[in-house]
Amino acid sequence: MIGYYVSLALRSLRRTPILSALMVAAIAVGVGAAMTTLTLNYMMSRNALADKNEVLYALQLDNWDPHEAADNPSEMPWQLTYKDAISLLRSDIPTYQVAMHRWGGPVTLEDSTVRPYTAQARVTSRDFFALFDIPFIYGGTWAKEADSNAVFQIVINEATNEKLFNGENSVGRTINFNGTPFTVVGVIGNWSPSPKVHDLNNGSFQKSAELFIPFGLHRTFEIQPWGNTNGWKPEKIESYEDGLGAEYVWVQYWVQLDSAEQRQRYEDYLTGFIREQKDQGRFPRPLKFGLSKPSEWLVLNEVVDGDDRMLSWLSLAFLLVCLVNAVALLLAKFLRKAPETGVRRALGASRSAVFSQHLVESGCIGLAGGLIGILLTLAGLALIRQLSMGYMDSVASMDWLMMLSAIGLAILSSLLAGLYPAWRISRTNPSIYLKTQ
Amino acid sequence: MLELRPILSALWRHKISALLIALQLGLTLAIVSNASVVIKERQERIARPTGVAEADIVTAHFMPIPKDYDMLEAFRLDMDMIRQLPGVAAATISRAPLTGSGSSSGFHTKPHQEVGSTGAANFRVDEHFIDALGMKLVAGRNFTPDEIRMMESNSSERPTKTIITQQLADTLFPEGNALGKPIYFGGEDNPMEIVGIVERNLGPWPNSSIAGNTVFFPAIMDNQWYDYIVRAEPGQRDAVLKLLEEKLAERDADRVINVETLEEQKTRYYAGDNTMIKVLSGVVSLLTFIVALGIVGLTVFWITQRQKQIGVRRALGATRLAISRYFLLENLMIAATGIVLGVATAQIFNKFLASEFGQPALPLSTTLICAFILLAVSVAAALVPALRAANISPAMATRSV
Repeated sequence: MIGYYVSLALRSLRRTPILSALMVAAIAVGVGAAMTTLTLNYMMSRNALADKNEVLYALQLDNWDPHEAADNPSEMPWQLTYKDAISLLRSDIPTYQVAMHRWGGPVTLEDSTVRPYTAQARVTSRDFFALFDIPFIYGGTWAKEADSNAVFQIVINEATNEKLFNGENSVGRTINFNGTPFTVVGVIGNWSPSPKVHDLNNGSFQKSAELFIPFGLHRTFEIQPWGNTNGWKPEKIESYEDGLGAEYVWVQYWVQLDSAEQRQRYEDYLTGFIREQKDQGRFPRPLKFGLSKPSEWLVLNEVVDGDDRMLSWLSLAFLLVCLVNAVALLLAKFLRKAPETGVRRALGASRSAVFSQHLVESGCIGLAGGLIGILLTLAGLALIRQLSMGYMDSVASMDWLMMLSAIGLAILSSLLAGLYPAWRISRTNPSIYLKTQ
Repeated sequence: MLELRPILSALWRHKISALLIALQLGLTLAIVSNASVVIKERQERIARPTGVAEADIVTAHFMPIPKDYDMLEAFRLDMDMIRQLPGVAAATISRAPLTGSGSSSGFHTKPHQEVGSTGAANFRVDEHFIDALGMKLVAGRNFTPDEIRMMESNSSERPTKTIITQQLADTLFPEGNALGKPIYFGGEDNPMEIVGIVERNLGPWPNSSIAGNTVFFPAIMDNQWYDYIVRAEPGQRDAVLKLLEEKLAERDADRVINVETLEEQKTRYYAGDNTMIKVLSGVVSLLTFIVALGIVGLTVFWITQRQKQIGVRRALGATRLAISRYFLLENLMIAATGIVLGVATAQIFNKFLASEFGQPALPLSTTLICAFILLAVSVAAALVPALRAANISPAMATRSV
């Protein structure tokens, strides 16, 4: 029966090409607009660390100004001080833990045709790769002592390995970073989570680091982070060492806690740590720390910003207008065929048969609208990529799930739009039309 | 008056269709007027004067390759070289404004204050910065060359002089006698005397709440966080950009150099707002287009449906004008209903956007302007079918169906 209705629907669409085209266009544009913004929101709110969502935690300590809480939804600074990070790294409770921040510098290679360039780097402790499940192509992470002492070992990503060493196994080779020779100890596969859950401080959708260097190198290079450094306390800073000991927060900290029991032990440890610091006159605020799972961290950091959420509401309203439009047009189209329907009813077609036949016709319009809507969504996303100047490249793209949703949305909305017109036409009173004929 | 009664009774028979069109217009008005205020607000924000000669400025940032690099010496040699280049009007070492990257502190008018500071962006500059950025000094004086301190990056030395923007001066000293007064970093007791006031500088973050509060200190540190800011003679910017890239590399090849115009940096900073403006404009025009299509579709349908009546009316002596007028009036009444609905919906929608996303309030005048435009669009959309209706021949009356 459905097949017959579909062929009827196609015939009917062919008979009123202009009205049908208008409806298809209305649904396509509505679906295109709605799906463009919904896709952006969906891609932005993805959790790149979903696989380990139950065991990873972003750590926050409230060592802020006694007079006012840190100005964000968590009311705690996003990052840690260097000295706290160094103390916490000594704990043996977490399975893995990383202290890290963004940095960068010039890369050169001796006897190479590669022009010097500025590379994005992550200064991090050695657990980084294990904690975030980053696969190594060659080699592995650096030595344990590199987390506290200057060890010139470096891990590079696949793209850098391709650029500098033509993709060969470069473990043991040397590259110059920041004017200093480093030994390559590992090459990781290209790893660029989006959003960048592990570092939401420096643009949630920026590219991830190309190079990774040990956390013990701060004093050697007098590293100042490329990212936010925030402070509240006036302190005399006379030297780099003073800066490391100051209350400035600039280090991001993650831990892996595999069980509830381990988490409890770590919480006890943190409570003890803060009490100890309070005894030394630090941490003037009430005792508070935060352990957020990746999914919670994304929400806390408001990765999907107000503009994007506003656009979603706006485009749903847009879709609603297109639907009202489609209802009006469908009504016009169906009522035009009222005489024909009258005859069919008189010949014995049931109301439900007339109803479902017309609903199938709306569905066909929806399907066509959905397919064109996908094309419009792709165009819309391409436009967003271009307008946002590279900031949105990783999120303004559509996956299969979103394509299916687009078609689903189109069919669902056209069926909704078709409900009333189909019902109206199924109530046609056959006698009126039989009289005039 | 005219044929209002027959129109009304005809509409009553098609009340659902008519209501749907009105509903559509109403929703469209709500979306379009709210989008318009957002667009307008963003455009005004981007168009605000920045206080600097952004159209003529080129910025250069470099990163040295050797580990022990004498930054201060490089600054000196580069500046000497840059100032000799043809087309260069002025040059300074500082950080470029409008880039989204910089530093800020809380300031007080009294020493030892820990709460209630006024936030302001701060820049460390030399004596050329006012000229090189094309800013205007409105009170006091510029820094003198001997006031500029060359410092190591970890120096704890505090500046004793400062130049601030008029906006910050007005905020800190509402009585208006800022010149010569000291300001203090939060909690500290080191006075920094205001020696000059510049008209305007939006600082590194034009979209932040402290935009326009800017403080300049007479100091240069030997770290990497500096840009060369070069103001070109009018029309020479692109030539200067190329020359700068070449000459900097030529003077010292042992570094990575990034040269960019200030306009590019500003565009990048506002990329989000620009995207919003373009997307919303697209939404507005598409919606208007769709509503127009809907009106055309429905008017055409109604006219075909009533061909016979039109024929009868024509046969009974109605002029072509009367026929067209009938359909236009009908359309106008639907549109008017829609707009009344829309004005109310727009306000409700706006309350939601304002409370949820902090968007600007929607003035009635904006809604009315949008309503007027939509009304014009809807009349225009009905015009062609209405004129075609007038061509229906009176002979139609004699045909059956």
